[in-house]
Amino acid sequence: MFCLSELEDTVRVPPSDLNLPLEVAIKKALQKLFLDKVLSIGLCVAIYGIKSIEGGFVLPGDGAATYKVVFRIVVFRPFVGEVIAAKFKESDSNGLRLTLGFFEDVYVPAPLIPTPNRCEPDPYNRNQMRWVWKYGDDEFIIDDSCQQIKFRVENISYPPVPTERAEDAKPFAPMVVTGTIDDDGLGPVSWWEACAPISDDED
Amino acid sequence: VRIRFPSLVHSAMSGEEEENAAELKIGDEFLKAKCLMNCEVSLILEHKYEQLQQVSEDPMNQVSQVFEKSLQYVKRFSRYKNPDAVRQVREILSRHQLTEFELCVLGNLCPETAEEAVAMVPSLKTKGRAHSDEAIEKMLNDLSLVKRFE
Repeated sequence: MFCLSELEDTVRVPPSDLNLPLEVAIKKALQKLFLDKVLSIGLCVAIYGIKSIEGGFVLPGDGAATYKVVFRIVVFRPFVGEVIAAKFKESDSNGLRLTLGFFEDVYVPAPLIPTPNRCEPDPYNRNQMRWVWKYGDDEFIIDDSCQQIKFRVENISYPPVPTERAEDAKPFAPMVVTGTIDDDGLGPVSWWEACAPISDDED
Repeated sequence: VRIRFPSLVHSAMSGEEEENAAELKIGDEFLKAKCLMNCEVSLILEHKYEQLQQVSEDPMNQVSQVFEKSLQYVKRFSRYKNPDAVRQVREILSRHQLTEFELCVLGNLCPETAEEAVAMVPSLKTKGRAHSDEAIEKMLNDLSLVKRFE
């Protein structure tokens, strides 16, 4: 989910921005430093506001001014056990990849897809494998026709920054969320909308 | 996406702070909160959107993209749209001895029955907590009333 966090950091305003009003220049520097970055507290998606600005000293040899800033940011911070709504991105023999748009590293590995299921080549996309859940006589395909897929966070990992990367390596993901769709209310929302409500008498 | 490690002063809002005139005011309870519901984030990001356009040199750059995609996500997955409704939702949920986390999950997913609510937030039924099915149903009922008057 999203959280509001307060931080303090040293911010450098380049000479080209020193003609801007101070708050605007600082906000611009903060956006450049924090937007779309993964911190220990989560992925920063917006600068909420500045609480205080101190300093403005120009260090020798540097044309920029340095400020100590206390500010608040909005972060996306998944919690283990949290149920989150997402959309389908792609799938392969390892499992599903889901996306939130601003964050695309949610993976549902094969063991966390409800069984019985099967994985077959996607007839519409030669490069992709698709997953199909079998429930009784019905079969449910998991693909991008699913409007909304709810998953529960099982694990969050923060891989270390690689020191070397091959040219064709996948873009580095500093935060990776592992999710499950194997439980009541999880998976494509259409699976549950089609269910008849269970009456209390049956308990 | 890269990693950065500034010093973390607080991980939560301080209760004593003043509301900055430039920041969006959606109510005292919200500002003291640590977690935000999607609908609250939607209001914040919509408000910030104009500010971002002014400051960013290149509206199509990567930085703006994350902001816009976040706004798209929270707008799509928010049940409540106007600030009054959002405020009411937080007020209603705040009356029911929930943790910040539980409050936001319920506000985001809007379960319709107590059974659904407990499936999404199993901690509601932890031993020692007072959440009977009736209490949960009442809370969900109060929430559904908010939607109707939007």
